[in-house]
Amino acid sequence: MVAKMIEGWNLVIGIEIHAQVNSKSKLFSSSPTDFGSKPNSQVSLIDAAMPGMLPVINKFCIEQAVKSGIGLNAKINKKSIFDRKNYFYQDLPQGYQISQYKDPIVGEGFIEIETENGQKKIGVERLHLEQDAGKSLHDQDPNLTFVDLNRSGIALMEIVSKPDMSSPEEAVEYVRKVRSILRYLGTCDGNMEQGSLRADVNVSVNKPGNELGTRCEIKNLNSFKFIHAAIVYEAKRQIKLIEQGESVNQETRLFNTQSGETRSMRSKEDAHDYRYFPDPDLLPLTLDDDWIKGLQDTIPELPDQIKERFINEYSLSSYDANIIVSDKAISEYFEDVVKNRNPKLVTTWVTGELFSILNKKNLIIEDSPITAKQLGELVDNIENGKISNRQAKEVLEEMCESGKGALEIIDEKGLSQISDENEIESLVDNVLNSNPENVKKYKNGKDKLFGFFVGEAMKLSKGKANPKIVNDLIKKKLSQ
Amino acid sequence: MEFDKKSLLKLGKLARISISDDKLNNLSKDLNSILEFVDQLKEIKTDQVDPTSNALNQKLEVRDDKVDTKNSAEDILENAPEKEMDFFVVPKVIE
Repeated sequence: MVAKMIEGWNLVIGIEIHAQVNSKSKLFSSSPTDFGSKPNSQVSLIDAAMPGMLPVINKFCIEQAVKSGIGLNAKINKKSIFDRKNYFYQDLPQGYQISQYKDPIVGEGFIEIETENGQKKIGVERLHLEQDAGKSLHDQDPNLTFVDLNRSGIALMEIVSKPDMSSPEEAVEYVRKVRSILRYLGTCDGNMEQGSLRADVNVSVNKPGNELGTRCEIKNLNSFKFIHAAIVYEAKRQIKLIEQGESVNQETRLFNTQSGETRSMRSKEDAHDYRYFPDPDLLPLTLDDDWIKGLQDTIPELPDQIKERFINEYSLSSYDANIIVSDKAISEYFEDVVKNRNPKLVTTWVTGELFSILNKKNLIIEDSPITAKQLGELVDNIENGKISNRQAKEVLEEMCESGKGALEIIDEKGLSQISDENEIESLVDNVLNSNPENVKKYKNGKDKLFGFFVGEAMKLSKGKANPKIVNDLIKKKLSQ
Repeated sequence: MEFDKKSLLKLGKLARISISDDKLNNLSKDLNSILEFVDQLKEIKTDQVDPTSNALNQKLEVRDDKVDTKNSAEDILENAPEKEMDFFVVPKVIE
């Protein structure tokens, strides 16, 4: 539908991601960064911008920015500078945000994303460190705004992409991939609901061959769904304007998560004039080669590498590997289960049954009611033929409800599958002997009756017979 | 660099300082003379010199990522002209 609506138009999308550094204390002060604390309980005099306070940078945040830069295949700048970005807002006590302007800590890089047409390289323009602002609540009182400074001064990494994405799907895929890389690195927890990772999206449209259109920036999108919906809405809006002979204004827009529409926040006329200048309270940040090299050695295996390894080591399909490596917790879970087991079976049970249970319960894998060890035990019992796939589903559900182990449930319910050939043979003989008419019809060419015999034999075993052995035996007997 | 009245008004707006009409001329004159003075720096050849963001010959001091809660909400709100439920309270801001 989207493709149809924008048929004949190019979309040009660039994204700024704000990712909160996974630090215990703030970028320039020792205040804690815990989410959901009592308002204004994590505010030092520096965060509140009391006169005379001086910022001292958090070493850990510098390391996380550089690690992220390495993960984004980017150039690490050995000298970077902190600047003041000046504007007035009630949740910015300093009257300026300490950010990096001309000399960011990380320069150009790139990541690879999966698209309909295969791999696509998306350029990263830069990554810089900056302070977060406080939080304003506008809906508590008709005439007042409430301000909480707990977030004020928390370290953010702003990751700016090149305008390399050309569809809402690519944009979502890009943010997913960056989030995944940061989570693997452990530099940002990627929790979008809590605002640890949010995106500003720049969208413009133009006719192929024409010059680029005017772009609009949609601020503060905190879910993949909203990123997609905001781009679709915005592209449609701009196309409609142009088709009506009007022009697009360069402006900042807000996405209404209720209505799915964007509305103007501020236009270019009163666009902010930030008057950046180097912060006199902070010296240039210099990094030496040995220190950078030391950090390089701490970089863990990243999703692209793990994907390749899974394909080689476990013969996973590219599709399955993508699903599994998309999240660090999933790939760790998978590796725990797959050790010494059949990778194909494990993949099916992790991405199929387990995911569907997690979806139903609206849980992330970290909170899975079934541990990797427990799922492994279940898979073992499928692999050794003790239970059928169908029975295993029943066991898995029971495992979720009761927290009991697979074996325990199998024993309790007397579920274990009959794999003894002699026992099954007598079942099969029984079925064939009591249906001589059907056996005759089958032998005369009514192939469809095969399923009937299998069904009867299974029924007779109360569903416990190993279906594969039943099939084989019936085939054998009927061809005699 | 010439500092005209329009730029002056814009600067005033950005700094949230209102400038009355009768002060406009004098302020503009003052600012321009300051700028003219500073403009002398342009006479120095700097094309071989890296931009200097700080004149101190030191490295940036860093600190460890350790938490130290210095204030309670009551402390930090003590001087707030208006507060409610542990929040700073300001006139409604609409964007």
